[in-house]
Amino acid sequence: MIDAPRGRATAHSLPAAVAILAAATGFAATLWCWSQGGGVLDLPWAASLDIRLRFELDGLGALYTLLATGVALPVFVYAARYLPAHLAQQRRPASHAPRFYGLLVLFMVSMAGLAMAQDMVALFVFWDLTAVASYFLIAYDRHEDSARWAALMALLVTGVSAVLLLIGALVLYAEYGTFSVPELFERAQPGGTLTLAGGLIAVAAVAKSAQVPLHFWLPRAMAAPTPVSAYLHSAAMVAAGVLLLGRLYPLIEPSALLRDGLLVVGGASIAVGGVIALTRDEMKQLLAYSTFSQYGYVVFLYGLGGAKAAVAAAFYVISHALAKSALFLTAGAVTQATGSKKLSEVGGLARDLPLLAAASAAAVAAIVALPLTVGFFADELFFAAALERGPWAAALAVAAAGLTFAYLGRFWIAIFLGPPTPSGRVPAAMLVPVAALGACLVATGLWPEPVASLAAAAGEASVRAPTSAAVAYHLDARSENLMALATWSIGLTLLALPALWRAPAGAVARLGTRVGPERLYAAGLRRVNRLSDRVHDLEVRDLRARVAAVLVPAGALVALGVLATPTAGSYRVGEIAARDAALVLMLALACVAAVAATLQNHHLTLTLVLATLGFALAGVYAFFGAPDVALVAVVVETLLALLLFGVLALIPAQVLRREAEIRTRGSRRWRDPLIGVVSGLFAFVLAWGALSRPSPERSVAAEHIELAPDAHAKDVVTAILADFRGLDTLGEVTVVAVALIGVVALLRRGRLW
Amino acid sequence: MTLIPALAVGVLFGCGAFLLLKPDLFRIVAGIVLVAHAANIALISSGLERGQSPIHPLAEGPVSDPLVQALTITALVIGFAVTALLLCLAYGIYVSSKTVDLDDLSHAEARDERELEREEVSV
Amino acid sequence: MSLLVQGLARLLLAPILMVAFAVLVKGYADVGDGFAAGAIASLAILLQYIAFGREQTERTLAIRLLPAAAFVGLLSALAITAAPLASGDPLLTHTPGAGTEPIHLGTLELIGAFAFDIAVFLLVLGATLGIIHAIAREAERVEGIEPR
Repeated sequence: MIDAPRGRATAHSLPAAVAILAAATGFAATLWCWSQGGGVLDLPWAASLDIRLRFELDGLGALYTLLATGVALPVFVYAARYLPAHLAQQRRPASHAPRFYGLLVLFMVSMAGLAMAQDMVALFVFWDLTAVASYFLIAYDRHEDSARWAALMALLVTGVSAVLLLIGALVLYAEYGTFSVPELFERAQPGGTLTLAGGLIAVAAVAKSAQVPLHFWLPRAMAAPTPVSAYLHSAAMVAAGVLLLGRLYPLIEPSALLRDGLLVVGGASIAVGGVIALTRDEMKQLLAYSTFSQYGYVVFLYGLGGAKAAVAAAFYVISHALAKSALFLTAGAVTQATGSKKLSEVGGLARDLPLLAAASAAAVAAIVALPLTVGFFADELFFAAALERGPWAAALAVAAAGLTFAYLGRFWIAIFLGPPTPSGRVPAAMLVPVAALGACLVATGLWPEPVASLAAAAGEASVRAPTSAAVAYHLDARSENLMALATWSIGLTLLALPALWRAPAGAVARLGTRVGPERLYAAGLRRVNRLSDRVHDLEVRDLRARVAAVLVPAGALVALGVLATPTAGSYRVGEIAARDAALVLMLALACVAAVAATLQNHHLTLTLVLATLGFALAGVYAFFGAPDVALVAVVVETLLALLLFGVLALIPAQVLRREAEIRTRGSRRWRDPLIGVVSGLFAFVLAWGALSRPSPERSVAAEHIELAPDAHAKDVVTAILADFRGLDTLGEVTVVAVALIGVVALLRRGRLW
Repeated sequence: MTLIPALAVGVLFGCGAFLLLKPDLFRIVAGIVLVAHAANIALISSGLERGQSPIHPLAEGPVSDPLVQALTITALVIGFAVTALLLCLAYGIYVSSKTVDLDDLSHAEARDERELEREEVSV
Repeated sequence: MSLLVQGLARLLLAPILMVAFAVLVKGYADVGDGFAAGAIASLAILLQYIAFGREQTERTLAIRLLPAAAFVGLLSALAITAAPLASGDPLLTHTPGAGTEPIHLGTLELIGAFAFDIAVFLLVLGATLGIIHAIAREAERVEGIEPR
């Protein structure tokens, strides 16, 4: 179907414009609010559960909100140009476009909410909102199996770990009685509970930031369209994990165990991500591995502990987010221009796309920590914090940074240098965002004060002590500069001698595929599916198994209840006077009829026995002093018996005879009567217990009896039915009307007459 | 007068539960009828007083609880409507599957599912 | 069907309907209410079905529109329930008010709840007849009798 050009343009341009406007407004508003010194919004939400909606724009909140809205701006502009081509290439109508922008804006808003939330439950809600938005965005190309698989994987990994976050919050609530984050900070005492809760929160954060061993969803999530990868999976959603670490750092920092755990996880992520990134051929895959390797730096810094490390972590997040989204947008632009997604298939594009080459060079330089970019200061702070910890941390830091240099250098060189391959043009709307981000990185490299103050404020919110971040260019032989030099030399060596690392890195990558956590995930998912199938077979296949599955546990639970409650005075026999003899006899007749009904094989006699039961019960009602009920019972029983005869007459005799002659075999011969006896017992106990404890208050029925003459009625029951409780009767007659509709639909295909 | 109606409730419910486990659709409906009757007995015996019928002018002495009577009438009529619908449903099942036996129905369902899966795999 | 049964059925139709109507009308003064009345009336017509078969019954008795009357009854019941809202009273407010004398039709008192009862009567009668008719038609289809 060919959309009219104008319709297509509106479907794309209007939502894009709204999204861009929303991002710009959010950014400006946050900036203004932050310049005014921040603010607090505190609303009661569920007062009885101690949950409040508390949002505070402190340093950490401002940082991540500015990041979420600021990175959104170039990404949305990029998407406005990218999406029409993407949809056209997949032959999808333009009406799919508004959903994309809507989801992106939803994500942006939930990220902002997450950054500013100061209540554990609000944190959890926004955390899950980001996961849900991410799910739909990753699976935007719904027809692709890989996209759906990736989206489910991301949702399961981040969603299941989100439950751990909630459990941690509940543990803290049980211990300290509050969900509010500032109050928790005041009340928290180091100890087992805090370590447990902190551990659970840390696991949730680690899963969200795609750290080892829960990293396997991020490379798969690259099946999403490029703007999604650039926004969510480099700058926003994975940043949510380290945001959580930063926000709840006072709960995690006291425990040395947790900090060491974070060190290990961060270090492993850096290593695994870096090594495998060296071997990747597909551009977005390389960037994905690079992303969680870089977030490994941040987790590592949080594991180091202390004010300096917290500031360094915040600084790193800013620098990485800006640079990585620029690189993702670059990869998307290159794919757009050349039509290929692999590094081996492109090359030498610096001549045709000079602006793109320059902008992405700035981004690479930022991550690799070359001077004149803000990344240089990020690494400087990183090295300073590592040095404080000890020489081993410093060595690790240098090795990590060298690795980063190597794989990102390889990325840029493979795309822009070397023998040229044919490429088309990249539209301006896709170039400008990359250039803007690159320029931003260089500008903050020359003037880092705003970023530094923001990072310092964020660090202050994390460690709750005054911090400072003094970053400047120092041209002396201080240790950080030496470490930076060492990093670049290692990186250049690795770049120059690929034979050094190609074999071992490839081996590591293959090992990961074979025994890595992704296999565990796939196996686990298969097993869960099989379990679900088996439960389905058990439960749904057989109606009787389902019925038994309800009756038997119910009987067991009632039995437990009976055993657990004191029985003195719970069960009264009640007075039985001589005048009740008729009542007892009729009840006995009803019971005999019921038992006889179970023994009947022939359907006709079954009907007659049921009719006997009904009439006996009518007599019971009469002897209970209820003539109205007895009348209705007699008439209804007559109708039902005739109805039953009528329907049975519709079925051929041999079908009924076959049913009558079936003998129950095997275990069902004793299993069914046993279940019947058990259910009968539990109904008896329940009824006896209930009847033995009449309500001590005056019944409203006495009022009804008194008021009936005022309602011009002598028969109280009719007055109750038609007057006092007329709404109940209305419901009942509706049921009768619905039954009529049902019968007519079944037997007469909807024709009433 | 609390033990005897409770006994009746127990017996009726037990017999109804037993019939619910049979493979014959009509016996299942009979089981439902029995369970409904058990509920009605429980309902009417939970009246707070038992005596003369609640129709003015009232003589001296206890008056039967009219509220549970009204509720029991409601329950009886609803039970009738639902049973009528269930019977026609059983007949409808017979018309579409030519059987009123649950075992046959579940075998047929399993067969259909296996065929569906075979089709999916081959496609 | 034997002549005895048919004769008795024809004889009993009017009295049973009379009893049903009586139960409906005296429901407020004595035993009886809308449901019982509707069910008794439908039993009368069911007796005719059994004695004379579907076709003849439907030819001699004007019961074509009764299943549709069930929905008329339902709607009237809803209307009667909601009517007091028009004058600002809550649902199902008793008319006339407590203590005032209602209009008398002989010894029958015409009160709002009586109209409700009539609606219920119509509904039960219509529903039961609709079900009976559906089953009777299905029985004919099964036996291969072509409807004329």
